[in-house]
Amino acid sequence: MNFNDWQEQQDITQFLFHEARLLDEHRWDEWLRLFTPDGLYWVPLVHGQTDHLNHASLFCEDALLRSMRARRLEQARAYSQQPPTRTVHVLGNISLESRTEAGCVVRSTFHLLEWRKTEQRAFAGSVLHTLRREGNEWRMEMKRVELVNCDAPHEALQVFM
Amino acid sequence: MTIDLQALVQPDRVHKRVYTDPAIFELEMDRIFGQAWIYVGHESQVPNVGDYFTTRLGREPVVMVRHTDGKVNVLYNRCPHKGAKIVPDGSGSAGKFLRCLYHGWTFKCDGSLLSVPLRSGYEDTALDLKAQQHSVRKVARVASHRGFVFASLAEEGPELVEFLGGVATSLDNFCDRAPDGEVEVAGGVQRVIQRNNWKIFFENLHDTIHAVATHESSWRAAKEEFESMPAGTPKPFEVVIVDGNGEPLEFWEKLELKGYDHGHGFMEGIFVPPTDPVSLAYVAALQAKQGEARADQILRVNRHNTIVYPSCSPHTSFQQIRVIRPLSVDRTLVEIFSFRLKGAPEATFQRTLKYTNIVNSPSSNVMPDDLEAYNRVQEGLASDGGDWVSMHRGMGREQPLPGGRSSNGNSEMPARNMFGAWASYMGVRTGGAE
Repeated sequence: MNFNDWQEQQDITQFLFHEARLLDEHRWDEWLRLFTPDGLYWVPLVHGQTDHLNHASLFCEDALLRSMRARRLEQARAYSQQPPTRTVHVLGNISLESRTEAGCVVRSTFHLLEWRKTEQRAFAGSVLHTLRREGNEWRMEMKRVELVNCDAPHEALQVFM
Repeated sequence: MTIDLQALVQPDRVHKRVYTDPAIFELEMDRIFGQAWIYVGHESQVPNVGDYFTTRLGREPVVMVRHTDGKVNVLYNRCPHKGAKIVPDGSGSAGKFLRCLYHGWTFKCDGSLLSVPLRSGYEDTALDLKAQQHSVRKVARVASHRGFVFASLAEEGPELVEFLGGVATSLDNFCDRAPDGEVEVAGGVQRVIQRNNWKIFFENLHDTIHAVATHESSWRAAKEEFESMPAGTPKPFEVVIVDGNGEPLEFWEKLELKGYDHGHGFMEGIFVPPTDPVSLAYVAALQAKQGEARADQILRVNRHNTIVYPSCSPHTSFQQIRVIRPLSVDRTLVEIFSFRLKGAPEATFQRTLKYTNIVNSPSSNVMPDDLEAYNRVQEGLASDGGDWVSMHRGMGREQPLPGGRSSNGNSEMPARNMFGAWASYMGVRTGGAE
């Protein structure tokens, strides 16, 4: 499975870069608007997890929960955001996984560096974006983040990955 | 250098060193985690012969494993030959016997030695392979209450049911809420690392007055979210379980707290039993199996966090157990296990997972502010800004109960009760009636 042409590859690549940049710049509202209304942001708890309803997850958030998280991060008294979490995403290996009726599934790998208070944390893994074309915009039906260390013990995970 | 523990704990305050001194942490491992009944796991985690689950009792790496006789054993995860951990950390199936990776010594699932390579090499030596010391050592005592397995590293001490006292009813209600009367671990385990002493977490479990302050960011976000919904929208479960922390102090004041000997206790439920379709379908399933009168009796037992000191905190109405594993004086691991109520609709279990995902998981919106508070306490206590930590609120206003005491929701009775047990394990008197 490959992209039709450079144009399509460029289009999707730029979308992924834009999505990551919104997170790194704490532009939560714009990021929330990238999802379809019934879209899901999902970080499985174990490798190969296929079910987010009958198994616990690291994140499993619909529009309501995503919005609540974004609101919390911006509260004046979000003590665990004093100072705020700073992140940078580096994306790579962007490839077309499959095509769907209204769009496609794209796999990429990422390296995420997080800093807060005293220490840096590194996360890495793959992301599956299930994208839907709406007019001339892409929307996310699902963002599934497969962490290399999903089943490790973690300190608080506050910001979207 | 000996530590004068007696000087560190009083009926209504404790010295900061009990949270910050690594030497005291080591004593706790010996005297508390080496003595008390510690939660190991649930029998449903090892359903078949050879199934194992590893964990730690204080400092000790142990493995819970089911033997051919159906019994669940708890063994030290250490080969009697050269000392290697026999099973890898985690859970899985060892088959019919345990086999050490290092030299291939094998053991039955009760730990007894099965075979050694080069047996002839031991003939006429001082090493007697028939002797018990060449089997995997069992922990001193193992007991189970309704499938919840506890172990004690000490030969002597109260029986499990006597140890649990008034909180045995929480474990009972945990299972009674299943239409079939049984629960099973399901849906994976979440693990959270805290940068604080384990006792800070335990004290917070029944600290009702921190919620409105510490959790302002999450309850306010939940309230704002609900206000943004069209008028007349029923309040979603996701909002209910987060905005409850915004209740005023008068609300918490009315809740009853119970503290029992050995440091245990529970808090009355903070959520009114919901009346949405998922909850109603569950209640109907319970009534169908148990009858209406019995179902009503079971559901009336409405509790928030229960404390089983010093190792776990069951939540009876959301079917989960948080297991607390001290790692060092300032690091603590909390493991969250979710349970399926056997005989309940699948949607009930999905709701359990929703609660754990939203409230207790590493990505919880609620917990980061707790962790921030615990960590600031841990760091603040290391300073010279003061020596004592207050537990005075509501002192002397407890009501006696059989095997314990009760108080209103805003009393620090639970913290005093835990330190009463702490002192007793550590071999000192708090000097008070607690």
